[in-house]
Amino acid sequence: MPQKPNSVVQGTLDMLILKTLALEPMHGYGIGLRIEQISKGVFQVNAGSLFPAFRRLQRQGLINGEWRATENNRRAKYYLLTDAGRKQLKAEAREWQAQSAAIARILEATSGQL
Amino acid sequence: MRLVNVIASGIRALFTKRRTEREMEEELRGYMDAAIEHKLHSGAALEEAARQTRIEMGGMEALKEQVREVGWETRVEGFFQDLRFGLRMLRKNPSFTIVAVLALALGIGANTAMFSVIEAVLLRPLPYRHAGEIVRVSSTWQRNGTLTSYSSSPPDFFDWRDQSRSFSSMFAYHMNESALTGQGETKRFRAVMATAGIFSTLQAEPTLGREFSLEENRKGANHVVILSHALWQSAFAAAPDAIGKTILLDSEPYTIIGVMPSDFLFPLSGSDAFVPIGFDDKVMTQRGAHYLTVLGRLKSGVTLAQANDDLSSIMAQLRKLYPDKDGKWGVRAQLWSTAIVGDIRPALLVLLGAVGLVALIACANISNLLLARATVRHRELAMRRALGAARSRLIRQMLTEGLLLSLLAGAASLLLAHWALVSIVRFGPSDIPRLATVGLNAPVLIFTMSVSIACAMLFALIPALRSSAFDAAGLLRSSISPTREAGRLRGALLVAEVALSMMLLAGAGLLVRSFVGLSALSPGFDPKSVLTMTISVPDAHYKTSAALQTYWDQTLTQLRALPAVASVAAVTPLPLSGDDFSSSFNIEGGTVPEKDEPSAELRTATPDYFRSLAIPLRQGRVFTESDRLGAARVLLISESAARLFFPAGDAIGQKIHLGARGGYEKNQGEIVGVVGDVRHFGVDAPAPPTFYAPLAQSGLDSVTIVMRAYGTPVALTQPARKIVQAIDRDALVDEPVSMETLFSASLGQRRFYMMLLGGFAVLALVLAAVGLYGVISYSVAQRTQEVGIRVALGASAREVVALVMRQGLRLAAAGLAIGLVLSFLLKSVLKGLLVGVSAADPATLAITALLLLLVAVIASYLPARRAARVDPMVALRFD
Repeated sequence: MPQKPNSVVQGTLDMLILKTLALEPMHGYGIGLRIEQISKGVFQVNAGSLFPAFRRLQRQGLINGEWRATENNRRAKYYLLTDAGRKQLKAEAREWQAQSAAIARILEATSGQL
Repeated sequence: MRLVNVIASGIRALFTKRRTEREMEEELRGYMDAAIEHKLHSGAALEEAARQTRIEMGGMEALKEQVREVGWETRVEGFFQDLRFGLRMLRKNPSFTIVAVLALALGIGANTAMFSVIEAVLLRPLPYRHAGEIVRVSSTWQRNGTLTSYSSSPPDFFDWRDQSRSFSSMFAYHMNESALTGQGETKRFRAVMATAGIFSTLQAEPTLGREFSLEENRKGANHVVILSHALWQSAFAAAPDAIGKTILLDSEPYTIIGVMPSDFLFPLSGSDAFVPIGFDDKVMTQRGAHYLTVLGRLKSGVTLAQANDDLSSIMAQLRKLYPDKDGKWGVRAQLWSTAIVGDIRPALLVLLGAVGLVALIACANISNLLLARATVRHRELAMRRALGAARSRLIRQMLTEGLLLSLLAGAASLLLAHWALVSIVRFGPSDIPRLATVGLNAPVLIFTMSVSIACAMLFALIPALRSSAFDAAGLLRSSISPTREAGRLRGALLVAEVALSMMLLAGAGLLVRSFVGLSALSPGFDPKSVLTMTISVPDAHYKTSAALQTYWDQTLTQLRALPAVASVAAVTPLPLSGDDFSSSFNIEGGTVPEKDEPSAELRTATPDYFRSLAIPLRQGRVFTESDRLGAARVLLISESAARLFFPAGDAIGQKIHLGARGGYEKNQGEIVGVVGDVRHFGVDAPAPPTFYAPLAQSGLDSVTIVMRAYGTPVALTQPARKIVQAIDRDALVDEPVSMETLFSASLGQRRFYMMLLGGFAVLALVLAAVGLYGVISYSVAQRTQEVGIRVALGASAREVVALVMRQGLRLAAAGLAIGLVLSFLLKSVLKGLLVGVSAADPATLAITALLLLLVAVIASYLPARRAARVDPMVALRFD
């Protein structure tokens, strides 16, 4: 685990949140924690990035908020993926995979391939 | 779809704001609790877990603000919040608000007024259908490298009209004034004498009746008239049966064949009616008689350049065919809208530039005031920053405050501009077309609004950027202390103000000098104490030249008997009146064929004319009472004409035959004297070569009486009018004008430009003085403590004054130096406006610099004196 956690690549935070919510509805702290865990601590997302992102995604109609009780029986706002969000996630994931595959090919290129 | 969501949710948020806020609060608290709990699970102590979480989350308010910023509605809301806050700030500092709004209103108001003039004179389209296709075709004459436009002769016009392929129609006209009789009191009647193409070129038709026919262009067949709407209403009460009726113009009957629509105005200064020009059979021999104004309408798709090529090749042919008459003439087609404004356009643009500088100075002033205030507001801004306001938010707020200030000033400026326009209409020169139609209309209001907004951005941006750039924590701790950098910025703004003012003042100074120089020039005669009065008598009363002469003799004799009159004479056309009369001529014994005669100006005058106007006799004699009908015909020639046409100096004794344009009889005679040159077209134009013929041998029905008075010439107005009307009650007497009034009107445009630029320069000076005073006063307030220490340590009042003034004068000197350099730019800008004075005139620059320096001394002395009165005990306690 690196000493200083990486910040999320610019523009991908929205996609990561959508993906997390695609697994199951989740509250704010849980989403941040889940991203950190799945990425094995590579990404640490702070509240200052998370909450504006929630507001943004909600405004775009990609997620919905809902007050529910937590496992500790506390009230928390859970976020759910909407249909539009699901579609958006699919599109972004496809785009991302195409891009990262391309980047990987470029990075692995040897002079023999030229 | 997403955009719709974003907009809709934003609007929804505006209505559910309170709930959203509450939920956000709860959600964030929940997040915090969850985070702390999570850390407790990992084995941290409660205290430590809470501390870590707070560090991770940052300031709660800042976080909320970040979330709020996501929605666009927050920005709209923020704008209104800023507006409310801005209004509160302005109300809280009334003296600041008043000074700032006033300074800005002066700057913006000057711009509004100047733009109104430009809108009316240059920008507003001419009131004709597809006015952009109408071109003015003029004869040109190349002299000393400058191309000057002149009127054209009938044969040239016919050749252009019939041979060119670029125009769908073309017409020529000249203005004619006559006496309208038989409709009650005798009235002056201004008619456009035009060829048949006038209405097709201007794309206008009579609302009533018909247009001219081609046959009516011939002399004798041209006794038909189309009335302007205004005359139809005033003289015929808008009766439709006016068509077919007859009116008497100079006692000749003209049949009314049509009435123009009410919105038709031609020329732009208006006219009473339109009459076919009536060329006689000999018109094609008058190629040297340039008296027609030619307008044409371009065929669609034809460019101005193509039309010019077309006309130039025709003119090249004419030059070959008629080398003596057309040999030196060229032709030029210009957009009519351009030709009308001529050299008014560059002058107005220079003035617009000048007034833009005034606005810049005003902006620099407000910028300075805001910078000064920003140091006072530092604590407030730092507090807001610490509470989570983003820097962009603070900048936005300060720009909004600037905008508020600017819009207030814009509104106030309309009042100032209105007053300025009222006096421009009243005192402006009459020869700037459409100047009288200026007004605060929609384009002007849009301009004012844009200038206000641009000003706000200009003056508010620097203070906004500067005062929001700081380390919030540091500022909260320290007391208010203006940085050195802020002082430098304020100094730089002030230097710029002084430099721009210097430039404007120098420009105004140059115009004043040029104007004073021109006013002191002699027009070739003495305009003082001379009253002029144009009289026309109906031909019907005086059938012969002898009868006319008896009338003029009787009139002149009776006027001479008035007690206050020193001498009386008659002339036509009168110098500086705007009228002129030129005629082709040949020298007896010369070999020039009639169609190639040269031309010169012709004046008709009585013997006393030269004495009355103090025009010197150079050689030979002037007219005498015995130069009458029946006696040998004589002529006088002006100095420059004698030099031009008789370079050997043998003018006297030569016999001259003057050809004449349509309607006038031939004049001829022997040259008996040479008289001084008269600058007929104004002191800023060269004196034209001129012949003089005696009135007693000419038989004219309209002349201008010139009377030299012992006292003020205007006092002669009433008695002179009475005498003239007693002799013939149908005589048409124009409002008498003093020669000095005419002289001053001939410099009207120059005076107008000088007054405007002078006004702007004074405005700039005042603004710069206020700016300097403000900066020095503020710095004195800042340095109260320092001054107190100096006084306590024994500095004298004089030393303190010197200390403060040195600061102000250093800034002023820097501004002056830069302004002096900038003033050299004036050379190219003011070229066309200056006569007889160099743009780098050292005297003007020196006086300007001294004036500014004096103002700077006063503006820094006042605060310096205040500093010297500081009580050290009070000063040392001051914070």
